[in-house]
Amino acid sequence: MNTNGNIYTIVYTTLIVVVVAGILAAAATFLKPSQQANIKAETISQMLQAAQFETAGLSNASKLDKYAEEIECAFVIDASGAKVRDLSVSRDNIQLIDNLKAQNYAIAGKGGYETGLPVYILKNGVTIIPCYGAGLWGPVWGYLAIEPDGCTIKGAYFDHESETAGLGSRIKDDPAFRTQFCGKKIAWGQKPSFEIIKGGAPEGQENAIDAITGATMTSRGLDAAINTWLAAYEPYFTAVKTTEEE
Amino acid sequence: MEYVSLFVKSIFVDNMIFAYFLGMCSYLAVSKNVKTANGLGLAVIFVLLCTLPLNYLLNKYVLQPGALSWLGGQFAEVDLSFLSFILFIAVIAAFVQLVEMVVERYLPSLYSSLGIFLPLIAVNCAILGGSLFMQQKDFANVGESAVYALGSGIGWYLAIVLLAAIREKMAYSNVPKPLKGIGITFITVGLMGIAFMIFMGISL
Amino acid sequence: MTLKETFLTPLFKGNPITVLVLGICSSLAVTVTLKGALVMALSVTVVTGLSNLVLSLLRKGIPNRVRIIVQLVVVALLVILVDQILKSIEVTFPIDKQLSVYIGLIITNCIVMGRIEAFALGNKPIPSLIDGLANGLGYGMILIVVAFFRELFGSGTLFGLQVMPAGYVTNNLVILPPFALILIGCIIWIHRSADKSLQEK
Repeated sequence: MNTNGNIYTIVYTTLIVVVVAGILAAAATFLKPSQQANIKAETISQMLQAAQFETAGLSNASKLDKYAEEIECAFVIDASGAKVRDLSVSRDNIQLIDNLKAQNYAIAGKGGYETGLPVYILKNGVTIIPCYGAGLWGPVWGYLAIEPDGCTIKGAYFDHESETAGLGSRIKDDPAFRTQFCGKKIAWGQKPSFEIIKGGAPEGQENAIDAITGATMTSRGLDAAINTWLAAYEPYFTAVKTTEEE
Repeated sequence: MEYVSLFVKSIFVDNMIFAYFLGMCSYLAVSKNVKTANGLGLAVIFVLLCTLPLNYLLNKYVLQPGALSWLGGQFAEVDLSFLSFILFIAVIAAFVQLVEMVVERYLPSLYSSLGIFLPLIAVNCAILGGSLFMQQKDFANVGESAVYALGSGIGWYLAIVLLAAIREKMAYSNVPKPLKGIGITFITVGLMGIAFMIFMGISL
Repeated sequence: MTLKETFLTPLFKGNPITVLVLGICSSLAVTVTLKGALVMALSVTVVTGLSNLVLSLLRKGIPNRVRIIVQLVVVALLVILVDQILKSIEVTFPIDKQLSVYIGLIITNCIVMGRIEAFALGNKPIPSLIDGLANGLGYGMILIVVAFFRELFGSGTLFGLQVMPAGYVTNNLVILPPFALILIGCIIWIHRSADKSLQEK
């Protein structure tokens, strides 16, 4: 058979493309639920770790159990800090806002998306909020857990897509970097309200921590991410404070 | 101004060879002398410059989540991003084959100097890598993706010509026998990579 | 060649990285940690093995003009499947995230295309499968050696567990990708000192 003819070539290519596309579509549909479950469990585990719960070594299911056990309520706020809608927290239907990239666009005013910032409140009164921004090579993001007083940080957890392993990746891998956040205070009303300072934070400054040596750009990107998102959450925390004082 | 900074950044700071180490196979194989290195470098610039904006449009209007919403509301939920590798590589391979045919037919002199490198390029990681990084960086418009492509291409070109020049001189030096050829080239590229690190973290 | 030779050649005498100089890109980026290197090595082995097998089965029917595209489509299909499967398993999910674009770049890993062109298109399916697997293993072997040294000296750990004594100051140079090149250069040096027939004139 002539394998170099035009018709043969076209039929052959079409056939290959159809077969390949079919296999891929089937695989994508079939594997999607477990992929999404992995992403969800990871997000939950990062939020819990920010709030100083140990989740290392837990299976996906027990991470979800733990979350359902600890969470009080979760909801979405708009740009003015007012509650827009609730997020379900029941074990079988945990809703999260995990498209932080889209929210980051909205905060930066790039348009195309509506601001819908998630707030997760645990039974012990701790509020968990996310942040997202650009590191040296790719996005960095994370979660801050804030005590019921609305300004003391209970803990933090960060993640990244492609920061330099061993340098920028220490925002995730180095527990010493994360524990620096514990007990620090967010200076609401100041600009910047939280600082990551290269060369070391000055003694006694309550809203600052040390940057990572050798990872200036990652530290700077994380600093910007935290401040941008804190600024977006400021109306909410101010409103909470005033209601409490009344 | 943003274009200038993106351009300079993609040549030096995000250099395809020294920051990401992409396209190493052809980089090491074709850098024995400056003349052929020149040819391959130019071909890489050209192919990157043409395929990256194409893939950008493909990503923006077909692949990324919600990209099909221009077809109507019911398509807004469709997420075809699992197809991105295969479509990107198909665009690159098809484009390379097309260029090869056109150049062979109409510009025989260019074909004889550049043509042999074209098939090599379809499997050059730097080209596919460029498209994958473009997807990660989400540029605002086609212009930005084209500037990024041009910058990365020039960065790659610069790197291969530099190495070829060093290797031409190195042919006369007294290298230990087991290290001769590819061994010493690896170490040289490593040292060049360390030198290029001075650009890391520069923000423009 | 016997099947045994087909299997053993790519491991030492014809090692894809140190002798054929193929597939260097990914070997630099993924060798910071042993876990990453191991997953990458396995993924590449699966892809080289299966793509060699599939293309060897198809070899008589492929129209010559679209040969490269057909090869790339088959390889891309396998790579996407591997990527999707890694993403959907609980244990490998975080590692897949760490490897990010480098899993996708297996498509253009020269070892895969190189073995298809050089072996699978001219040989029967079974030897092709073995050749593919052996090349993946030869590649993975170097990857793991490099990752061993980089993780040990760069982070003081192996597979994420602390092995260096407390107070060990991590070596940041080892973590940076250029060091992987220098390390591979040294492996080539040792390999060629041991096997003089590989030395270049």
